[in-house]
Amino acid sequence: MRLRPRPGDFFIILIIAFAAVVLIFSMKQADSGEKTALIIHNGVVVKEIRLDTLNHTETYEYGGEYPGVIEAEKGRIRFREASCPDQVCVRTGWISENGQIAVCLPEKIMIKIVGKESSGEDTDILLR
Amino acid sequence: MKKIALNGILISLALVLSYIESLFPTGLIIPVPGIKLGLANIVTMFALFYLGFNSAFTISVLRCLLAALLFGGFSSMLYSLSGALLALLVMQLLKLGYDRLFSLLGISVGGAAAHNTGQILMASLMMRNTAIFAYLPVLLLAGIVMGLITAIAAQYLFYLVDKTGVVKHLS
Repeated sequence: MRLRPRPGDFFIILIIAFAAVVLIFSMKQADSGEKTALIIHNGVVVKEIRLDTLNHTETYEYGGEYPGVIEAEKGRIRFREASCPDQVCVRTGWISENGQIAVCLPEKIMIKIVGKESSGEDTDILLR
Repeated sequence: MKKIALNGILISLALVLSYIESLFPTGLIIPVPGIKLGLANIVTMFALFYLGFNSAFTISVLRCLLAALLFGGFSSMLYSLSGALLALLVMQLLKLGYDRLFSLLGISVGGAAAHNTGQILMASLMMRNTAIFAYLPVLLLAGIVMGLITAIAAQYLFYLVDKTGVVKHLS
């Protein structure tokens, strides 16, 4: 019993790759020079930090089951430390581009960089 | 061999594969939540092709529950369960075109993409925010690679099992 690729296999792979590429481009945001980081904890925007005009290091400490510290500098932001088991959020490192996110799933907290203040039409759809 | 005994063996096998996978620091190389090899999908595909949908369903659900109890946790169970069920559904559909349209390669890759989509859907529900979909493209592309690898492994498993003749391939 050998593994013989069938025509549909290529079709499936192409469709998925195409979907991935379309998603990448649809989520890309134009760089308007303005950069705001939203910190969203349990679905609520708990803090907004304007990154492009930031001229000092700002930190945000969050609590919950797995507390941690978010750190922002001019033009970039990251999870500096976290007490979650997987540490994926910390390993994501600095993010600086519009549309980029850093997420801590265990604590349900994420950082998202948007081009405009969240009061614009860029606001995320809250699922609640 | 009794089907129920075989189901039991397959659940433990899937559990062991899930555990081995949890030791692999895939998140270290690509820091995206939920990225993994999907080794347990080899077992799901085997069950789907040799025992039928019901067995594959039971094995997937019990594997997710037991993995959560042993080394995951409640929320990781929600992610893996939503991913596993969506993957199973898609693979069952693709299986209808098996040999004619698709080989295990397509079925496995389709399952992997469905798994990732299910995970992200659950994650966006948990985070109450859709921004997490930004991770979907990376997961989908990684899923193509992982899906191809698990398909090759599954094909070899099918080959070995067919040689022993212990279980018959459903046709």
